[in-house]
Amino acid sequence: MSGGSRTMTLLPGRLSAFLRRDFREALTYKFSFVSSFVGILLSSATFYFVAKLVPPGTPSLEPFGGDYFSFAVVGVAFSSLLGMFQEGLSAVVRSAQVSGTLEALLVTPASIPTVLFGSSLYSLILQVFRTVLHLGVALAFFGMTLGRVNVPGVLSIGVLTVLCFLGVGILSASFILVYKTGNPFGWILGTVSGLLGGVVFPVALLPPWIRWVSSLLPVTYALDGMRKSLLASAGLAEVLPDIAALAVFNIILLPASLLAFRLAVRKAKKDGTLSHF
Amino acid sequence: MNPTPAILAENLVKRYPVFRGFRDLVRRPFEKRTTTALDGLDLRVEPGRVFCLLGPNGAGKTTLIKILATLVLPDGGRASVAGHDVERHPGPVKNAVGFAINDERSFYWRLTGRQNLEFFGALYGLRGPAREHRIDEVLRLTRLGAAADLRFNSYSTGMRQMLAFARALLADASILLVDEPTRSLDPQAADRIGSFLRGELVEGRGKTVFWATHDLAEAAEFAHEIAVIGRGRIRLQGTVASLTGEGRTSLRQVYEKAVGDPPVSR
Repeated sequence: MSGGSRTMTLLPGRLSAFLRRDFREALTYKFSFVSSFVGILLSSATFYFVAKLVPPGTPSLEPFGGDYFSFAVVGVAFSSLLGMFQEGLSAVVRSAQVSGTLEALLVTPASIPTVLFGSSLYSLILQVFRTVLHLGVALAFFGMTLGRVNVPGVLSIGVLTVLCFLGVGILSASFILVYKTGNPFGWILGTVSGLLGGVVFPVALLPPWIRWVSSLLPVTYALDGMRKSLLASAGLAEVLPDIAALAVFNIILLPASLLAFRLAVRKAKKDGTLSHF
Repeated sequence: MNPTPAILAENLVKRYPVFRGFRDLVRRPFEKRTTTALDGLDLRVEPGRVFCLLGPNGAGKTTLIKILATLVLPDGGRASVAGHDVERHPGPVKNAVGFAINDERSFYWRLTGRQNLEFFGALYGLRGPAREHRIDEVLRLTRLGAAADLRFNSYSTGMRQMLAFARALLADASILLVDEPTRSLDPQAADRIGSFLRGELVEGRGKTVFWATHDLAEAAEFAHEIAVIGRGRIRLQGTVASLTGEGRTSLRQVYEKAVGDPPVSR
């Protein structure tokens, strides 16, 4: 069996080993799931009451179904998910550097991308579960209303968005491998996206002189397309501009991030700082 | 002489960049400053023996081990393990080498010893009953069977070191790299580890143990062959008997002379 096909054969077993490891560790922290659930309840309740300040029929909310609570829940739930994809990979690199496990992982025959993705897999799956739970809590307890859900739109935007943010995540992990802290990708995209990406208020409310910055952020298209598909009964044609924009981000980000990662690993090995923190 | 040495290094060079402050970076932005860890190191280790690499702190022992484990890339020369070049073919090197990392932080403290081995076993490509069988075997070999299902955070320092050996042996690699494994162990525990490495692994199973240490006594007791590294080069290499003139001089005198002297050919 060639090296490449053997690696692919072993990949599911290796990824499931990472999942099992993290699940076993999570079981030893008994209250983390409870606190996470309480956090979702409190966040939903906060936006439920804030939404009472926003009258139905507010023009800037019309393209998204008109209800501010539903608008905010989709924004917060999905931006948390995207934040995890954006920050998850760099967080596991940093955590393994600090905890001291990185060298032990890297001397095994598992490839560095396998180690990186495997280490963050549990957190990513958990965050998907939290996002679904967040929407479920909002639907079951706070009267969130969905439109006629455009399933192909949700899936297309979901997949493109996840890939795009994985690209940002790989860029962040590359930076952390070399420079250890101060990841600018996470900071810039996280902070700026929160303000200008339409997470808790529509981008249309921003002054025109800064609105152009929103058009440079993938989160803007991700949330716009997701809200229209979930809340406003928009068809595939109506979210096509969002899909196209996300595709362009992917074409740029994915190859760039993979190249950056390869260069980062080489530099860290050259400098002898792979496991430094 | 075996045609394929367990470890071969030829004119190996490694320089690390020197940390520079902001002021220095602004004043001389294009200047590169390095410190030399390995300075044209040559070394040949035959298979099936305990090979001790002796040297003072900062001599280059850990750098050499990390190059052999593919964690650090050399700047010049070449190194190979079991005939595989560490820079061009890191995959086969990783399959041939078990690196017993002596940092206890390299384990998952809230998992048991067995759970740690199950995880690392999967990364080494072991699956199903074969993995369980292998884990039982390395636990038996390292005499950790009774403690296998205890959490790692309840292990003593000696048990943690033995679990590091168990992990490094999971893939049944032919070469074991160990970096100061007896550091912070009491004399009895250190002696048990020396006997384990030579008796169980080398004489019992035919493995090669490449052992970095600065403890002359344990090198004299357990090594088939030693090399002394100083300022990034091998200063001398041979059996303890040959280096000490069959006991006419002490290993300490040989060591101190070697570390202060220019390289001596084998």
